[in-house]
Amino acid sequence: MNIDIKKQTRVIKENLFSSPVSTLLTFITSYIMISFFRGMFGFATAPDKDWLSVLNNMQLYMVQAYPESDFIRIWICVGLGFIFSGLSVGLWETEEKTSLSKLCLTFSKIVSGIIFLTIIAPTTSVVVSTATGIREQVDVFSYAERVPLLSILLGLLVVFFLTSKINLSFNKSLLVSIYLFVPIILLWIMKIPTIQLDAENQRVFPDPLMPIANSTKIPWTLIWISFVVSYLVGVYFKNKKQFKNAVSISWVLLPLLIFSWIFKKPLIDLNELIRNDIPVFIGFLLIGVLTIYFINNKIVEKFYSYYLGLLVVVTLASLFLKVILLVKAGLLLLLLFSVIIPAVSTSAKGKRSLAIVWVVSLTTTAFLLEGGTSTTQIVVPGSSIFGGFSLTWLLAIFGTYVSFPLGVLLALGRNSSLPIIKGVCTGIIELVRSVPYITWLFFASVTMAVFLPDGVEFNLIVRVLIVTAFFSGAYFAENIRGGLQSIPKGQFEAADAIGMNTVQKTSLIVLPQALRAIVPTLVSSIITSFKDSSLVTIIGLFDFLTIGRMVIGNQSIPINFIGHDRENLLFIAFVYWIFTFTLSRRSMKFEKRLGLGER
Amino acid sequence: MSIIEAKDVKKWFGDFQALKGISMEIQEGEVLVVCGPSGSGKSTFIRCINRLEQHQEGSIIVDGIELTNDIKNIEAIRSEVGMVFQSFNLFPHLTVLQNITLAPTWVRKKSKADSEQKAMELLERVGIPEQANKFPGQLSGGQQQRVAIARALAMEPKIMLFDEPTSALDPEMIKEVLDVMKELAKSGMTMIVVTHEMGFAKEVADRVMLFDDGLMVEENTPNEFFDNPKNDRTKLFLSQIL
Repeated sequence: MNIDIKKQTRVIKENLFSSPVSTLLTFITSYIMISFFRGMFGFATAPDKDWLSVLNNMQLYMVQAYPESDFIRIWICVGLGFIFSGLSVGLWETEEKTSLSKLCLTFSKIVSGIIFLTIIAPTTSVVVSTATGIREQVDVFSYAERVPLLSILLGLLVVFFLTSKINLSFNKSLLVSIYLFVPIILLWIMKIPTIQLDAENQRVFPDPLMPIANSTKIPWTLIWISFVVSYLVGVYFKNKKQFKNAVSISWVLLPLLIFSWIFKKPLIDLNELIRNDIPVFIGFLLIGVLTIYFINNKIVEKFYSYYLGLLVVVTLASLFLKVILLVKAGLLLLLLFSVIIPAVSTSAKGKRSLAIVWVVSLTTTAFLLEGGTSTTQIVVPGSSIFGGFSLTWLLAIFGTYVSFPLGVLLALGRNSSLPIIKGVCTGIIELVRSVPYITWLFFASVTMAVFLPDGVEFNLIVRVLIVTAFFSGAYFAENIRGGLQSIPKGQFEAADAIGMNTVQKTSLIVLPQALRAIVPTLVSSIITSFKDSSLVTIIGLFDFLTIGRMVIGNQSIPINFIGHDRENLLFIAFVYWIFTFTLSRRSMKFEKRLGLGER
Repeated sequence: MSIIEAKDVKKWFGDFQALKGISMEIQEGEVLVVCGPSGSGKSTFIRCINRLEQHQEGSIIVDGIELTNDIKNIEAIRSEVGMVFQSFNLFPHLTVLQNITLAPTWVRKKSKADSEQKAMELLERVGIPEQANKFPGQLSGGQQQRVAIARALAMEPKIMLFDEPTSALDPEMIKEVLDVMKELAKSGMTMIVVTHEMGFAKEVADRVMLFDDGLMVEENTPNEFFDNPKNDRTKLFLSQIL
């Protein structure tokens, strides 16, 4: 750890005190920031705040009323997410190295910051009595209380300084496992204040310190172990291309599995499946694959346009007939594929990848329809199967997952030279964008059932997901269209001049450049949809924010938390901030890796 | 047999007529230099040959295939005709090697190993094999243009079109690109070059043409064209440029 004092002083002088105006600004901002921190600290430590109202309601925050007996499903989903993250971190491990001294420098910066904040923290806080409305000053964090904390922190600084002398460098990806290891250790050694009730159901004060419940620490430990194991597996298979492809495809399918796992019990309704879905599914699978592989046959080629015409007629007819939903969706998908088959399926490689895409998209569709329409045995009071952070997370992830491809298709369609496709895509985008999101939410909760075919009933969450997908899809589409327009005409000409067809030009030249150019906009769209998901409270879903604001603030049984919504709001704000901040930091790193703005 | 045959080609941009009836024939292995003032239609004409622009009247036959609206014909012709642009138009998100192997693997359906080997040979030929894994943005203009030539050659075209390949380059870099083009001309490639580099025209061209105002004003061997121009417009042009 070599801190060049002279250099640091120069940097500070140049950046903060370069002119009288900048000096003034530095002082004003420091004053505002310090006052803000002191105010927040005073607020958080005031004795009338009951932070156990946050801690004690973690389960409510995470899943709301999801039945405890089915928690294993949620754990498995979280675990799957971590396993695939671990595999990906291992498989796509960068060669980037970092050293122990660099790490220590970062940590000592953080610790120094905490020391500074500890010193400037206020000693008093204001409490407003609920009964009389009188404000009074209370002592909260006397200097004597700070001494042990400060000495621990200073001790840490010394430890970091000493360890920084050790010359050790290691792979950056390994750090992720280590970072995750710290909270796991804390889970096992930490004791937290826990609410205890006596024989008359009265809370025992002061709250006793208890270890964290096994039902929390055991699953997290298992998840951490599986993360590390899958990371090692990923590193081991680093050079296997097939393994990488398999993991990529699994990422595409994973949300579907998670989705139906949370919603459906039992996961598969065998009776229904054998009677209807499997025959239809296999039929479509065969037709698609056969067309892909025999398109170059002379006879097939000759009748292909008749086949396409017939397919259009059958698809249109099926929309008005009483057949199961999978037939309608399958026909639509087959039509879409049949249009692009002749262009892509000209070589063995093209055929193979097209066949894979066909199987994956058909399976996805079938899975979605199965999961979205059939009944489940998970019984929850109210209209929503679960709420809280899971719902917020699901809306954000699944919304992006569906709306992004939709946005790409809409953007390409709007730029298409075929008037019908262009018209339909423009119509969808303009219609969806011109109506507020809240109106669409009401549409999902009240009106959508009218538009669905007979016998099809979607859960409220599924309906919300559908409108969310279209809503953010329309915004994605316009962003992506902006990216498409940023590509110079010469790129199209160059692709034309080497003989590429439209599909190749779009997928190899246009989209990669367009998407690269709009990564910052896309990330801000994702962040927006993550935060906008709290609007679902208006149609009676309990998202993360609603739980804290409405539910816990009014909780009186078994423990009285009435009026303690402010500390919960602070906690919620903090969690939102953590996630959006991480996302934006990740995207900055991603942009750097893409070399955005450099090449 | 002539490899390109153009008959009375006319083209309008809105009300403006860019080509007012161009007829010409090019034999296999011939090097043709087209020159003329800006807006004379020379770039438009060679862009018509691989259908980057669409002519409205007359006919163009390339390698026995007539250019019509049939997309299959157009793609067939484009894979036989390589083109090099004034502004390089390399794909900035791909490395030099990927730029060159893209068309052989996706359009010609060659295996990755084959097209990479071919690409390295081509990079040797244009003199920059060490830049294979860099991105276009990291190269100088002259190097980028040589990569663009290699990219066009990777499709093993019968004809190469050059649309002012040196106009966007510093004087020092012009030479390195022209050297590559000279080597290519000597290897027997059919080339149409739109350029203002008269030295290049004198040295390697089989024929030189002067375009003016959408018409071909003069067509001659380089010696005759430069030493003994027949048309007044040619004399004026040469007096301004030399």
